Amino acid sequence: MSAIAGFLASPIGRKVLMALTGLLLFLFLVTHLAANLLILIDAQAYNEYSHALISNPLIYIAEIGLLILFVAHLVSGIIIYNRGRAARISAYEEHRWAGGPSSKSVASTTMILTGAFFLIFVPLHVWTFKFGTYYDAGGGVRDLHRLVIEEFQNPLMVLFYVVGMAILGFHLWHGFGSAFESLGVTHSRTLRRVGNVTAVLMAGGFAIIPLVILLTGGLR
Amino acid sequence: METGTFTLNLRVWRQANGTADGQLVEYTARNVSPDMSFLELLDVVNDDLVKQGKDPIAFDSDCREGICGSCGMVISGVAHGPQRATTACQLFMRHFEDGDTVTVEPWRAKAFPIIKDLVVDRSAFDRIQAAGGYISVDTGGAVDANEMLIPKDSAERAMDAASCIGCGACVAACKNASAELFIGAKVTQFSLLPQGQPERNRRVLAMIEQSQSEGFGPCSNEGECEAVCPKEISVAHIQTLHREYTRASLRRIFGFS
Ligand code: HEM
Ligand code: FES
Repeated sequence: MSAIAGFLASPIGRKVLMALTGLLLFLFLVTHLAANLLILIDAQAYNEYSHALISNPLIYIAEIGLLILFVAHLVSGIIIYNRGRAARISAYEEHRWAGGPSSKSVASTTMILTGAFFLIFVPLHVWTFKFGTYYDAGGGVRDLHRLVIEEFQNPLMVLFYVVGMAILGFHLWHGFGSAFESLGVTHSRTLRRVGNVTAVLMAGGFAIIPLVILLTGGLR
Repeated sequence: METGTFTLNLRVWRQANGTADGQLVEYTARNVSPDMSFLELLDVVNDDLVKQGKDPIAFDSDCREGICGSCGMVISGVAHGPQRATTACQLFMRHFEDGDTVTVEPWRAKAFPIIKDLVVDRSAFDRIQAAGGYISVDTGGAVDANEMLIPKDSAERAMDAASCIGCGACVAACKNASAELFIGAKVTQFSLLPQGQPERNRRVLAMIEQSQSEGFGPCSNEGECEAVCPKEISVAHIQTLHREYTRASLRRIFGFS
């Protein structure tokens, strides 16, 4: 046990944890996006899919799992950030990015901020949709589709989601490639490009849902 | 002004000792020849300061040919200056222009305390090396050079890693002042060679533990280290370090070795 704790408290073990929890959260988001795109395609299928999820008792285990991933990622992120700051006691008078092979970017320098945004976003998001108005679609099935459509009639709500997904995109722009490097898998320009494309697809994929609903009124 | 020479405005970090407050002090360097190295420029400025009875700028140097790693300083905001794959002593003034203003600062890291002006104490690197960056050899008759067969590819990659001169630019450039590129190079060098195997696990564990107690930070995978490294050591060595460290930790967790 102490050997495990020692690993996770080491600077490298903590990054391995950071990468694993980040990638698992990412995988959750992939399934979450795929499911939510149904909103734009088929209201009934969306409600049935949601019903299958929320009526399954295993959902509680999955939710606790997600919460653990989230908290572990967040806590390690804050520790890593603080350790990094503590390691440089005086700031440079003049500092420039070196460029060339470096992957340093606006995204990589704002990970703690874009990450912290989820501390606001996730509770609000869960509050709005999980604990939002209960509409009945008949047959004991919750009409989540209607709730989503109604929420996204509000342009401020749509703006919040679009900006939020852009912030997610920034986090993944650096995070995706970085995770594979932390795990010692590989480092390459290609991996970084794949990470950038993934980030844009993820952010764009999510952002398109509220945008389409606002612009077209959504499927009824 | 001699033909072909030019004038440069310098802002140099002056700090009397580790505890004193430091600040940037402006100097004008005249008759700068494009063939001078950056250290020769500082020599000329220092000659002037000495003539005026002032304290010369303290900076480290030894080989002045880019192989010893002592001449670290941040020039124009970049470790060893903006020229890629170049130590400060190999940075020639032809890369600057007449009238340029150039800021010169020491490496800034908790683990590299400032001794004076541009000179920092890099002995933390020595202690990391001493913690595990070696192989134990029982002395005796010299072994025949080709006794131990090493694949050419491994030998070449180990050589690439071994080209690290321990200058500390990686630490200076990293936002977390992480030493992982340095340690990665040392660990990779030994992990690729048969001589490095007996101490493979304890080496990486000990070096990381030492690095942590010296106050170096974690790696955020930005890769500024590789970009400023005068020997262009690749961040791939950091991935090797992470694999080696994880492997050694797992072996410890599951009770092997
Ligand atoms: C409160 C929420 C979050 C915080 C505070 C946070 C913070 C951070 C920080 C500070 C880093 C960089 C660590 C470093 O400098 O080395 C990071 C990396 C990362 N984050 Fe997050 N994050 C959060 C949520 C998320 C979410 C929801 C995802 C899923 C998409 C995610 C995916 C990643 C990935 C894949 C990495 C790269 C891991 C690595 O560098 O090894 N993060 N996060
Ligand atoms: S003085 Fe030796 S590398 Fe510059």
